[in-house]
Amino acid sequence: MSAAAAASAATTAQLRPLVTERGSAGFFSAAAEGRIEILTCEACGRRIHLPRPRCVYCASTEVSWQPAPHTGTVYSHTVVEHQVHPLFPVPYTVIVVDLDGEQAGVRLIGNLPGRADITAGTRVHCTFEDLGKDAAGNPVVLPVWEIDTDRENTGSGEE
Amino acid sequence: MSTDPTWRRDACAIAGIGTTAFSKDSGVSVTALAVEAAAAALEDAGLTPADVDGVVRNDMDLVSCAALADGLGVPHLTYWGEAGPGGSGPAAMVAQAVAAIMSGQATTVVVFRSLNGRSGRRFGLSPVVTPEVGGDETFEEFFGPYGLLSSGQYFALMAQRYITETGLTSEQLAQIALVTRKRANANPAAQMYERTMTLDDYFDSRMLSSPLRLFDYCLETDGAAAVVVTTAERAKDLRQAPALIRSVAMSTCRHPQPGLMYPTLMREDITALPSRECQDTLYSRAGLGPADVDVAQIYDCYSITALIQLEDYGFCKRGDTGDFLAEGQIDLGGAIPINTSGGHMSEGYIHGMNHVVEGVRQIRGTSTSQVEGAQVSLVTSAPPPAASALILVAA
Ligand SMILES: [Zn+2]
Repeated sequence: MSAAAAASAATTAQLRPLVTERGSAGFFSAAAEGRIEILTCEACGRRIHLPRPRCVYCASTEVSWQPAPHTGTVYSHTVVEHQVHPLFPVPYTVIVVDLDGEQAGVRLIGNLPGRADITAGTRVHCTFEDLGKDAAGNPVVLPVWEIDTDRENTGSGEE
Repeated sequence: MSTDPTWRRDACAIAGIGTTAFSKDSGVSVTALAVEAAAAALEDAGLTPADVDGVVRNDMDLVSCAALADGLGVPHLTYWGEAGPGGSGPAAMVAQAVAAIMSGQATTVVVFRSLNGRSGRRFGLSPVVTPEVGGDETFEEFFGPYGLLSSGQYFALMAQRYITETGLTSEQLAQIALVTRKRANANPAAQMYERTMTLDDYFDSRMLSSPLRLFDYCLETDGAAAVVVTTAERAKDLRQAPALIRSVAMSTCRHPQPGLMYPTLMREDITALPSRECQDTLYSRAGLGPADVDVAQIYDCYSITALIQLEDYGFCKRGDTGDFLAEGQIDLGGAIPINTSGGHMSEGYIHGMNHVVEGVRQIRGTSTSQVEGAQVSLVTSAPPPAASALILVAA
């Protein structure tokens, strides 16, 4: 993102993620450097998302943040028509994204403007929105998702 | 079918039921509502506050067990407890009363839920107003910044995925709202008693978060409901015919996920609810199966929640449910009449506790939409984070 866009983003009133929560801080520090990382078990290799203190599959305590792809497909979506929050005027579309090549359940959330024309299986890719710094000076960067117009959809998403 | 030999069937019973009026503005405190419902339940059972030695509350209730006991005039408690989370609680709250009684910690337990859900703290509005969202291990830092901020939006994502996988149509989904509205139209205590609904009305209602419309949502309600649980032995000498607690069950699912609601979007399948695991325990403890159930009160914060549980509790197979609904199988005279008071979508949203009360009415034969000769009455309390359920039978 350009410096001008970053400055504008930083002054826009919007909900920002708390990036210092001890369990999920690793995710947001990776995002601040332009990467998606998912907590990964070094013993069994499974991805632990959302992050937990130890592997929820094999109970190993050896877990670390490892890179994940920046592309995915829409798993589900909703067009929000009824406003519940002053900072989110309607309509807007919330998407749940399955990251490419990941185990089931490794998903991120996205927000698309308006009534997005999507179905399960619509391809999307991640960019990063710089929201400036929090009160303690930590960078606040939000992974955001856009419809991928370059690649074909995988279909309906039925499995 | 397998049966669970460790569970003691019919050891306890629901001996009394009570509710307040269900309204948009009660004009009184949640403690006053709780006391009114609990007093009505004791009166119904033919018991006095001095008989009560236990209280179980919901973890989201604003009324403490001590405040309820004090307001009711209970001199002394030997047991108090709570269960949840939220709407997953009511059957589990009854289960906790049973556990207290069977372990000798109490003899007569009031189980209640009270809320000014419309005039006071409203579930349907986002509580998040500060610019920073998340923390305290809610994991909402992953959801709120994208505008995923209400339970309706969460269940809409569940419904959309279900539609993608099964081809469910809007007309089929509408049957849940239409049938429960008909039941409310027969129930003078229901908020929607005088409001009939047609399929056109359903489609004319506002889309709130696609694919869910206004009439796919429960009613925000002020009110309270309570039941009195005691031993089956004691209940048989009381004022009402006891509703024996044949079986109770509680469940999460594999890797239930942290937080309250949104993190469950990370489960492998977001249309699989913990009720799927709950039913195994429930039916094996009861020694009964879905074919034995005469009437069911299915937790219906949203239409889709009820729909998925119809499958999970064994009333229809995934993929057949749309046709099952279209055939009127959840209506009176169908395979499994549900939510005979109008449920959350048309009677009132007492967070699953009004379902327990209606489950008892069916066993007593006093529902305003009575299933003739009902002997086995199922009540579910629901997901997403966890599930509980109970089966009541006639003595
Ligand atoms: Zn592991």
